[in-house]
Amino acid sequence: MADTHSAPGARFVDPRVLARIGNLKLLARRVVDGFINGLHKAPYLGVSVDFAEHRGYMPGDDIRFIDWRVFARTDRFYVKQFEADTNANFSVLFDVSKSMSFASKSISKLDYGRYLAACLTYFSTKQRDRVGIVTFDDDIVTRVPPSAKHLDVVLHTLDRIKAGRPGAFEKPLFRATEFFKRRGVVLLISDLYDDPRTIVDGLKPLSYAGNDVMVFHVLDPAEVDFPYDEATSFQDLETGRKMPVVPEKLREQYRSLVQEHIAELTRLCSENRIDYAFFNTAQPLDHGLFQFLAMREKLKRVR
Amino acid sequence: MGLLAPLFLLGVAGLVVPIIIHMIQRERKEVVEFPSLMFVRKIPFHSFRRQRIRHWFLLLLRCAALLFLILAFTRPFFYAAALAAVTDGAREVVILLDRSYSMGLGDRWSDAQDAAIETINGLSPDDRATVILFDNGAEAGSRSTTDRASLTGLVNAAEVGSGVTRFGPALKLAEGVFEGSDLPRLEAVLISDFQRAGVESASGVRFPEGTVVTPIRIDDGEVVLENVSVAGVLFEREYFAGRERIQVTARLTNRAATAIDGLNVTLEMEGREIEALVADLPPNGSATVDFAPVTLGDVPMSGTVRIAPDVLPRDDAFYFVVAPGQVVPVLLVGSGRGPDDPNLFLRRALGIGSAPTFDVNAVTVDEMTVSDLTGRQVVVLNDTRPPSGSVARALDEFVRSGGGLLVVAGERSIWSADAPDLLAGEMGMPSDRVGRGGALGYVDYSHPVFEVFSAPRSGDVTTARFFRYRSIQPHDDATVVARFDDGNPALTERYVGNGRVLLWASTVDSFWNDFAKKPVYLPFIHRVVEYLAGYAAPTPWFEAGQVLNLSEQDVALGVGGLSAADYVVMSPSGRRIPVEVSGDRGGFINLMEQGLYEVHDGNAASEVPSVLAVNVDLAEADLTGVDPEELASMVTGRAGGTREVEPGETRAMAADDLERRQSMWWYLLVAAALFFVAETLVSNRLSRTALSAE
Repeated sequence: MADTHSAPGARFVDPRVLARIGNLKLLARRVVDGFINGLHKAPYLGVSVDFAEHRGYMPGDDIRFIDWRVFARTDRFYVKQFEADTNANFSVLFDVSKSMSFASKSISKLDYGRYLAACLTYFSTKQRDRVGIVTFDDDIVTRVPPSAKHLDVVLHTLDRIKAGRPGAFEKPLFRATEFFKRRGVVLLISDLYDDPRTIVDGLKPLSYAGNDVMVFHVLDPAEVDFPYDEATSFQDLETGRKMPVVPEKLREQYRSLVQEHIAELTRLCSENRIDYAFFNTAQPLDHGLFQFLAMREKLKRVR
Repeated sequence: MGLLAPLFLLGVAGLVVPIIIHMIQRERKEVVEFPSLMFVRKIPFHSFRRQRIRHWFLLLLRCAALLFLILAFTRPFFYAAALAAVTDGAREVVILLDRSYSMGLGDRWSDAQDAAIETINGLSPDDRATVILFDNGAEAGSRSTTDRASLTGLVNAAEVGSGVTRFGPALKLAEGVFEGSDLPRLEAVLISDFQRAGVESASGVRFPEGTVVTPIRIDDGEVVLENVSVAGVLFEREYFAGRERIQVTARLTNRAATAIDGLNVTLEMEGREIEALVADLPPNGSATVDFAPVTLGDVPMSGTVRIAPDVLPRDDAFYFVVAPGQVVPVLLVGSGRGPDDPNLFLRRALGIGSAPTFDVNAVTVDEMTVSDLTGRQVVVLNDTRPPSGSVARALDEFVRSGGGLLVVAGERSIWSADAPDLLAGEMGMPSDRVGRGGALGYVDYSHPVFEVFSAPRSGDVTTARFFRYRSIQPHDDATVVARFDDGNPALTERYVGNGRVLLWASTVDSFWNDFAKKPVYLPFIHRVVEYLAGYAAPTPWFEAGQVLNLSEQDVALGVGGLSAADYVVMSPSGRRIPVEVSGDRGGFINLMEQGLYEVHDGNAASEVPSVLAVNVDLAEADLTGVDPEELASMVTGRAGGTREVEPGETRAMAADDLERRQSMWWYLLVAAALFFVAETLVSNRLSRTALSAE
């Protein structure tokens, strides 16, 4: 955490500071610009270079892409491939269920996710990607199809979202599969309060359809640490169910259960080639951008 | 180790409270909203009733503070051998200190206090002592104590009272102290000026065998004391220019063997000096001083007759409250027939008297109107038929609403059936008593009408001869107050509504009897009318030591009736005495001080207080002394003496004495306070830590 704060521009990306900025576009620009400036000293230099890889020449390939220098060295035809040709779709699957509105401090998970989505959308727009968004709780709430001109629409949608209803994954993910026919990057932002297998099963079709699926698991510090002391009744934000709880007695068990949940999600996502990252709303937003780029980089290496 | 108040140990049960506070996890009322109880539900349910104590140190601090507090209240002490052993010579000393107002003469009181303090200082450590302050009553401080400070404090705080010397109550109290003592030597130290007047009350008091009585006489030796007293005042009422005036006459008494000339005597009314006169008094004689008449107002006035202060200032002032003379309005109703005036004796009798005066108005029954009853307190139907029609109804209403009615039976008294039902009995035909006539055979002397005749030589109502009277058949609700010697009711009383009706069976003139020619006639008629009017004479002053029920002192206070609210009484020394009316002992006040008491009625609309005058009993001004040894021998059976002491017997000190000497409760209380302070600091720190953690 201290490392990220020491990076240039880090002072702009503290979520509590960003929460004061009403305009999402301005916010995203501040974060991303500051982040890009910081990249000059970051280990991710060259990530956005167009050249991707060499591939053996196949009949029908455009001979303009044959790398003659390689031919001169190896006496074989290789074709240069470039990332720039992808011009991918970047879609955000945003969980707006009631539980996302929880905030133990100044910033809620919904706001944190909103900022993350805004920043990454802006970032993707900078890379000439098409951006879109799908919000859901127990069903699809809104959908903005990916488009190069949809940055403002996406930001506007992000600005308007409100967490109100209980959430689920099975149905909305199943329906979302229909939206992502064209390969792209799909980013799920949620607190993932469901059985990990259900969640991953819901994401599998997206992954199998050729999308790069990333999961940003956003939790409040209180949900991780369970810092409550006094015995009191806890009410489930989504179901409204109340339960008398003695936090002191539960804390350790609760923490281990949360860690098990995260570990299970990590394992299942890994098995299904889904990128999983855990976020604490107390972390700066550029941490999210680093995670994002690290995943993209990893994807390139795997590809 | 012992405990003086072991019952407070029950408070140890209170130690459970902090433990419970520490054990119970207080469930907050507010509900914590949490995103999902998914993980909470997965945790198996535990019983959380048995909680862990989190802050052991804080709990110990709280328990220790409570424990020390409880121990302080139990007042513990140690049975240390050195403290418990009491030598055989331990004394039970009772110091009786006379505080009657004669002790205010010269330096007597300070000498008496010095003597008492000296006695206290002379007590050995094992002695126990009691101080009894007495005048006509007795009051003891801490009984049988070794606490010298409290004894000395009581003596120093005592003041000369307004009471008279009565040895009896004080010696009786001392006798009780001696009887309850287990110490081998009993000693009474009697500090007084030993006036003879107070000795008589001591008869019947007998101290335990062997009690030593040490009298300490406080007097001024051979100095000739010139003491003049204002012995009392008399009021002469008169009317001048339509206003009532009183002339105050003061009686002065010189108890010295020398004549006193040119003594200044002043009359103060309502605190202002009205007149100053000079009086000459013969040796051991008295004189009267007549002041000029003073016009009275509509409300009672307080006054004081004062002479120049002498050696005994208490009897140099005489306080009084003089109320305006009360008038009882009486309506005489006659038949208007007959050659003589039947009201003659009645009018003459009621024409005499100043306390109260009677405002008599006479009408005939035929001329009587409803307006004649207005403002009247008593109606006398003198040998006539009752009024009829509206006047009869008005008379009935008059009686039921509190008026008095005297029906005098005579020749013309015929109470018809349609007349108001007011009579105490059925009137029969007149019956004659031949020869010497009849007389009153039975008189209820407890009745207010005849009460004045109850004392010997205060008038004999049976000397009057009755030659004719009507036979009376009393109603069931009537009371016969007097009967003739043949059993026929002479005076019958009946309560009708709030009023009273008296039926006199014979005439009140000289026609049927010679009662009107007897000396008792005048007081009899006065008492009858006063009784029917509900009149009670105001009391101009009370004596110090008297106990009054304020709620029954309307007349004494000179007001029309105090409400049932609580009173606040300001004593002459400015002491505020709240008097509650409710309760068994409500409304009572002990008039301890000489001077003017102000009585404030809590509910009265007027801010003007009622005033009570209190004077000292002049018997105390008689300084004739008695030989102290005579009094000592009265209560011990002999002059002086010693009590046999059983040798070798040791007695333990009383537990309260041991406790008082050790005063451990004080240290325990300080320790408890320190623990509470520590508890506050620790709990504050813990709270702050918890807050910062959140």
